[in-house]
Amino acid sequence: MTSLLRRTPRAETAAPVITMVDAGLTYPNGKVALSDVNVTIPAGDFVFLVGPSGAGKSTFIRLLIRELTASHGRVQVAGRDLGRLRRGQVPALRRRIGIVFQDFRLLPAKTVAENVGFALEVTGTPSAEIRRRVPQLLSLVGLQEHANHLPTQLSGGEQQRTAIARALVHDPAILIADEPTGNLDPVTSWEIIQLLIQINELGTTVLMATHNQEIVNAMRRRVLALEGGTLVRDEAGAAYEREY
Amino acid sequence: MGFVAGFARFWGFSVVRAWQGFWRNAMMSLAATATVVLMLVLLSGLFIVLTGLNSGIEFIERKVGVTVELLDDLPAERRDALVATAEALPGVTRVTYVSPDEAMERLREAFAQRGQTLNTGGASIQLQATLEITLAEPEFADEVSLALADETGVRKVITKQEEIDTLVGVINVIRTVGLVAIGLIGLTVLFMIVNTIRIAVYSRANEIEIMRLVGASDSFIRWPFILEGILCGLIGAVVAVILVSIVWDPIQPILVSVFQMPTAVSARNLASLSALLFGVGVGIGAVGSWISVRSYLSAAA
Repeated sequence: MTSLLRRTPRAETAAPVITMVDAGLTYPNGKVALSDVNVTIPAGDFVFLVGPSGAGKSTFIRLLIRELTASHGRVQVAGRDLGRLRRGQVPALRRRIGIVFQDFRLLPAKTVAENVGFALEVTGTPSAEIRRRVPQLLSLVGLQEHANHLPTQLSGGEQQRTAIARALVHDPAILIADEPTGNLDPVTSWEIIQLLIQINELGTTVLMATHNQEIVNAMRRRVLALEGGTLVRDEAGAAYEREY
Repeated sequence: MGFVAGFARFWGFSVVRAWQGFWRNAMMSLAATATVVLMLVLLSGLFIVLTGLNSGIEFIERKVGVTVELLDDLPAERRDALVATAEALPGVTRVTYVSPDEAMERLREAFAQRGQTLNTGGASIQLQATLEITLAEPEFADEVSLALADETGVRKVITKQEEIDTLVGVINVIRTVGLVAIGLIGLTVLFMIVNTIRIAVYSRANEIEIMRLVGASDSFIRWPFILEGILCGLIGAVVAVILVSIVWDPIQPILVSVFQMPTAVSARNLASLSALLFGVGVGIGAVGSWISVRSYLSAAA
């Protein structure tokens, strides 16, 4: 494993990377998507976000990446108060957050290396730096042998690894994984989880939204449980379901 | 140095992506470009006609003067007196008597120059005897005209102003009709470019979403599309300029014949027209794509 993402020790590890204070989102029509969430996630944590469909997990994530703005309360990510963030400052925020999705969202006409390099290219990274970084990232996720393959030539797990490599291009403080194992078989799912654990051990905070009870129960990490837009549980070393 | 390198990377990225986008969506892009060519060729036609008519006005203004039509059978003494009166007026540099026979001879020559023969159908044509008065400056025309109008033996005083007014009227009509037509075609072109770029944006919605998520700035997302629209306008302008350059020399004698002026077209006018075509082509491409990108990306922000 490369030392690409290693960030220990440093001052940021002491400070929370995500803080929500009475944060929520009520749409103009009165529908409450998320209500009064209070959460602090310190740097280096590995947190599961669980709850049934429609519980508010997606809204929670979209608030963190500033796709949505909280209608009330405060959301702070990587030291930035998102309520005060101007539109022009959003790209800088998103370079501090890596995000992967259940459906991978790779560009089908680009190779694995091009998909990863694209994220650097569109943020103005010099070509020499792209040529240096991409192999490192592919090595980190174990895809160096597949650099020139198209996404259609990869398995689901390999596609998700590519997406993870792309999410890590800017060495983010936080990696948000939205159902990263939702389209994968159990064995491949565990491979992805192992990769996320490795990334977390290198110092990157990981927030993973999931419906996969087996993984949450086996990992025994901190669990945030949402129901009907409300945070109903915030428990360290927890299982998917409440155990008491 | 870092800023310059970043600036160069940004434009390099945007231009390459615009070029790729243009050809990825080739049918729509080429259709939009064709409408740009059509509009610019029509604009060229309007430019050439208006330039010809304007040069006609300049030509007439250069031949500043007043023509005095004399009554039939005017005695020679009275005619000489009128010549003397005219020569004494301020601003008059020369007075020439043109007899009816000389006028007829000029008419024959004018026809002969066009390769035609004056055919009167056997009828006898009696042209007016005139005094052709050359002026130092066109401003003297009204004064000279007023002074001679009431003189005995004068039938009518004609100034070049009437010819100029007629020509200006024609120019105004052609300009108005031409600009309205080009404006309507311009709206069609704008619509085509807006739709072409909108389709390009929608077809790359996934790519745009990824760009946003990985922290690409709005400029990196928008400018390739704006440049793609500009490319439609630019290629359209290049094609239009090539077409106009090809026909520029062959149409010259036709235009000279139509406008009866030797200065209707010139290399200087071709340069001005080319600059106009590039400006309009690039401008309409930029405006169309900006409208399209702005409406989509603002909504997606």
